[in-house]
Amino acid sequence: MYQGLLTRRYLTSKITPLLAMLAVMLCTAMVLVVWSVMGGFLAMLLGTGRTLLGDATIIRPVNGIPHYQELILRLEDEPAIDAATGIIDAPGLLKLPDGSILTVQVTGIDPAGFDRVTDFADTLWWRPIDEPIAKDPERLDPRLDLDPRHLAHGERMEEPDPETNDPRPAIVTGIELAQYSQRQPGGWYTPRWMFFPNAEATLSVLPLSNEGVAIDVEARTFPIANEFQTGFYEFDANKVFVPLATLQEMLSMDAATLVDDGYSFGVTTGSDGKPAFAEPGAVGIDPARVTAVLVRAREGVTPDEARDAAAVVYQSFYDDLEQEGRAVPPPPIELVRVLTWKERPGVSTLVAAVEKETALVLTLFMFISLTAVFLVFSIFWALVNEKTKDIGILRSIGASRRGVAWLFLRYGVTIGVIGAATGGALAYLIVLNINPIHEWIGQITGGRVVIWDPAVYYFTEIPSSVNSTHAVIVLCGGVVFSVCGALLPAIKAARMDPVRALRFE
Amino acid sequence: MDTPLLEACALKKTYRMGRVDTPVLRGVDFQVAPGEFVAILGASGSGKSTLLHLMGGLDRPDKNGGDVLYTGAALSGMSHGALDAYRRREVGFVFQFYHLLPELSALENVLVAGMAAHGRGFRAKRQELRERASGLLERMGLAERLTHRPSQLSGGERQRVAIARSLLNEPAVLLADEPTGNLDRTAGEAILDSLQSLHEDESRAVVMVTHDEALAERADRVLRMIDGRLAGSAETADTGV
Repeated sequence: MYQGLLTRRYLTSKITPLLAMLAVMLCTAMVLVVWSVMGGFLAMLLGTGRTLLGDATIIRPVNGIPHYQELILRLEDEPAIDAATGIIDAPGLLKLPDGSILTVQVTGIDPAGFDRVTDFADTLWWRPIDEPIAKDPERLDPRLDLDPRHLAHGERMEEPDPETNDPRPAIVTGIELAQYSQRQPGGWYTPRWMFFPNAEATLSVLPLSNEGVAIDVEARTFPIANEFQTGFYEFDANKVFVPLATLQEMLSMDAATLVDDGYSFGVTTGSDGKPAFAEPGAVGIDPARVTAVLVRAREGVTPDEARDAAAVVYQSFYDDLEQEGRAVPPPPIELVRVLTWKERPGVSTLVAAVEKETALVLTLFMFISLTAVFLVFSIFWALVNEKTKDIGILRSIGASRRGVAWLFLRYGVTIGVIGAATGGALAYLIVLNINPIHEWIGQITGGRVVIWDPAVYYFTEIPSSVNSTHAVIVLCGGVVFSVCGALLPAIKAARMDPVRALRFE
Repeated sequence: MDTPLLEACALKKTYRMGRVDTPVLRGVDFQVAPGEFVAILGASGSGKSTLLHLMGGLDRPDKNGGDVLYTGAALSGMSHGALDAYRRREVGFVFQFYHLLPELSALENVLVAGMAAHGRGFRAKRQELRERASGLLERMGLAERLTHRPSQLSGGERQRVAIARSLLNEPAVLLADEPTGNLDRTAGEAILDSLQSLHEDESRAVVMVTHDEALAERADRVLRMIDGRLAGSAETADTGV
């Protein structure tokens, strides 16, 4: 009982224990903020990657996968798979309205099918909104007065031709592309007049033969129907979506007539009796192709399960079409790769790197936090020395050694609990406001200090969520560290000779 | 004499100063009867405080250095826990320098002895012990000083708080180590009056060590300690034991 009373009094009458509490608080907050940001970064990376790439992918670059529509139908019949869509990934050059040329990642998509797998439509930025976002009290966001047709154009990836009013293919670009749309501190974007709306850009791609040899450069000019914002900087700054059928044409991956191998160029007599070029003998159709089929798993199905199911479907798809003796059979499964989105080239190394970096940073910060143990230890050691006479007094009135040890351990626990709790609260406040804090640091340093560079960390905003399990682990760690620091001084106090303690000056 | 309340049997205690052994008690024998007021008179360094610490179970005699018996039970045979309980229940210490806890008020300094004695059971007895602690402080003339911290009290007041603390658990014997040594004559007389009244009104045994002969005269019996030995004893009043 006296332990509680003395703990309260020691806490309120001494400054040094408050320093120990401060050390625990700062260490707890530091580790929790780092873990929240790094863990949040990883979680956002994983979540965004899965949203953008589907759960599993069947890939065959360059040559592509023929008969992909049949494959998609078979995949969507599989219970583990919710939806599937074909895409083409290719490098390209985009000439912008101001004449600058960017290298971009071109992805040909069927907007409706792609949306079913990746929620593509939700990432379209230019959509009318009724209420301004929280940080826009002055209603400066252009989306508040936006023509709703822009969203429809983006969703369909079509724009009416200004002269004929017929729909024509349009592209959707990443919102950070060339930074034409400028991100405001409040979180909205202001487009430059020259880019959106009513701007056009010229896309150049390089069709390849089945042998991987460049055929010719294919360039077309497209209106920009909308921009997308995933928050994943790498995508938002580099990717251009093009209607799949258009990109198939540009890359010579659309359906074509297969001609007889024995056909030779020559001149013959036409039906009108005049000379004409000899028509090649058509022997079949070379079907349209895609370089990848993205698969979305049904609710509750893991990406690994979706990948395995997709591999089984592909195998039966290949077997059946091979058996049918199609003129252009799909490639055997050995020539395609069936991967979860995490296993895709580039993604797997990135995720592994982030996981390792998180573990490394956490380990380093845990070591730094060990200083709190030594700080608590030295403060408690000094406190036990200072309170030697109190220890003698307590022993003289019958306090046991265990009771005296518990007095200082309890004191350590109290400092740990209060320090960890306030540290947790501080971390929560920091994590909750980490983007405004980052902006504020940028403002007061005149933009010289940029801790979170989207070009390095992929996301335009610092991830800001505290994982409750991580928080519990860190808070318990703070208490344990504090108790560890108090342990030896408590043992010293318990072992103190009461007579010497009473005579201590 | 009936079974003595407290008995020192050939007590020896040596302190080691560096490489030199310094004998402080060289074989002390004496007994304290229930309700007796014994004064141990001696010069500074004669070993009287050490004797008090041994009798109160705060320290142990040398190996083969005699024993202290409390109602016939040897303290050397007691475990640490039993010795703690002995100090909590059977003896009360009053020190020359008061030894109050500076962060606690006068009332809390008295109550802390009850907290140590009752442990978790203190909660159930809180009100009873609080009333008893207040009563003891009122009896010591400190009714207006309950919430004062030691730093806000005079030396005499602090010593009275220390006496109240020693009495909270109603020990059979008070061990007072130069209780007036740090006080002026008037305050010292008042403290001694308090001790004497406790002895007379409640028949509580008191063992007081002092270097002041005039104060020692107030006890039932005076023992003189010279160089770690009791030189002789003289009864100063009829104790009836």
